[in-house]
Amino acid sequence: MYNPRSLSTLTPTLIAQHLTKVIGDRTIVDDVSFEVFAGEVFGFLGPNGAGKTTTIRMLVGLIRPTAGRILICGHDVQHQFEQAMRCVGCIVETPDLYRFMTGRENLAHFARMLGAGDDDIARVASLVNLSGRLDQRVGTYSLGMRQRLGIAQAMLGEPRVLILDEPANGLDPAGIREIRELLRELARTRGMSVFVSSHLLAEIELTCDRVAIIHRGRLLRTGTVRDLISSRRSLELRVGDVPRAAGILADHQPTIEGDCLLLPLDESAAPPLIAALTEAGIDVYRVAPHRQTLEEMFIEATGGETVD
Amino acid sequence: MLAMLALIQNETLKLLRRRRFVIVISILTAILLIVSYSQYRILRDSAKRNWRADLQERIARAENMLRRGRASASWARSIRAEIGRWQFYLDHDIDPQKPNVPRFVRTFPNVAGSLLLLPLLVSILGSDIVSAENAEGTDKLLLTRPVRRWKILLAKLITLWMFATLTLLCGAIIAFLAASVALPSHGWTEPSFSGFQLANATVRLDAVRELPLWRDALIAYGLEWYSMMAFASIALLLSVIFKSSAASIGTMLASLIGGTILTHISPDWTAGKYFFVTALPLADYYTGEPPPYDGMSMMFCITLLAVWAIGTVAIAFALFTRRDVFG
Repeated sequence: MYNPRSLSTLTPTLIAQHLTKVIGDRTIVDDVSFEVFAGEVFGFLGPNGAGKTTTIRMLVGLIRPTAGRILICGHDVQHQFEQAMRCVGCIVETPDLYRFMTGRENLAHFARMLGAGDDDIARVASLVNLSGRLDQRVGTYSLGMRQRLGIAQAMLGEPRVLILDEPANGLDPAGIREIRELLRELARTRGMSVFVSSHLLAEIELTCDRVAIIHRGRLLRTGTVRDLISSRRSLELRVGDVPRAAGILADHQPTIEGDCLLLPLDESAAPPLIAALTEAGIDVYRVAPHRQTLEEMFIEATGGETVD
Repeated sequence: MLAMLALIQNETLKLLRRRRFVIVISILTAILLIVSYSQYRILRDSAKRNWRADLQERIARAENMLRRGRASASWARSIRAEIGRWQFYLDHDIDPQKPNVPRFVRTFPNVAGSLLLLPLLVSILGSDIVSAENAEGTDKLLLTRPVRRWKILLAKLITLWMFATLTLLCGAIIAFLAASVALPSHGWTEPSFSGFQLANATVRLDAVRELPLWRDALIAYGLEWYSMMAFASIALLLSVIFKSSAASIGTMLASLIGGTILTHISPDWTAGKYFFVTALPLADYYTGEPPPYDGMSMMFCITLLAVWAIGTVAIAFALFTRRDVFG
């Protein structure tokens, strides 16, 4: 299992340093820095227009940063484009492939650009369970199949870094689960770095080891999923007389939610509170640590804007 | 080098899969079959006719038109040149209209070049060679592979040149086959005349060259090929500039038609001679059709096309390798 503490001993495979993109007088991406290590799945979250796609396009050399630089496996994307791109497979936004060609022709097309052979095409096709439909035109594929072909294409040439924009798009729940397991598998057993953006927070929570949150072009937070959530832990108390209980616990700044009280405390603080409440004759039905979801954390961090 | 061949192979595959070349060949076949049939009709009728009287009558009619002053300046030049050529054929006792396979094949680059058929076909092949990647979103994948952008664009340009060359070759072959069905096949070594020049109001004959038809044809094909290569290079720039295939094909056609209109509407505005479209029908100018403006020698036209081609290709590469690729 992945251990976040081992990070310090690893070298990052994807480094973004002070990435900035200014178009006209608008700063679309503002001083974004992060590192992605070998063997981890890194989530990139942000609402619509936050600069997510612009950042991804800069990572893969489609957009020139105004300032800052990107290193992939130690190669600068600006100055050593070919070496850097040899280490990357990607899907940017939608998995657009040549619809008028078959899946196999598409894979062969991109394999030729890498100098990869037929065995590599067979390998990536079986990896995403597409071997059976490879000789049909991509125009006849469903969105889920195109997404899988996109991932297969990204896996050509065994890149060390995988950059996937919304990989769960268009997939049914079983497909999402399949992709999630594939990505975790690639990171864990092959030591690949997987960079995914998504608007499905629950999905990011299940798939990723670490997350960066971008909002209005700036990185708000970066950290392990566990740390980001547990740093916001609270205690939930269901009691008989909510207003009185709130009065007794006023020192702990409780918030009232229905017939529950939420206190910004760890569960270790619970026993004395329960004792105080029972002493005052208030019934305590339930005491539970309230685990904040990534979604709540996200909404708090971005000031309540919807995720997309 | 090997990597470049792989890229060219990719571009070739895409061009074929988009069925662009099939469309080009179909258009060529349809047009050449129809023209060949019309030539067959002329051949059939000519048995009953006296070509000499025919030609004399035509010359008289054309001279009448000139005297009445109905024709515009540029048209009048064309007519004068034509009268000169007819007179030349009369004097040398050669029937210029008698259809046969070699003449049919020989005339193809002239007619298809000056009537913009070949440039149109190159437009079909090349106008969306870059813009389609943009429109279909595949540029995001194409440009994130470990291949520098200039190599990708060069592969596209070479592929376009290859298919433009193939179009001309196939045109010659289809012209040959279409004509062989209906017309007599001998005549490759009969004399063919080119190089008629218009000086003031008369046609100068001292520059007229007499060559065996096959050599004359080779020169005409060579010139038309050169003009197509230049045109393909210019088409590449439009394909780079525009994101939508429709916009780039539309602009290419508009510049072709616009250039032709320009030379007909305002022949006095001589700056028009620097527009590449006026220099495109090289094969026609070689044969003796007067260019629409003074001072457009063969050398001028060849240089002008080269300057346009090199300039547009340089801009295309500068744009393509530097620009940000947004969605």
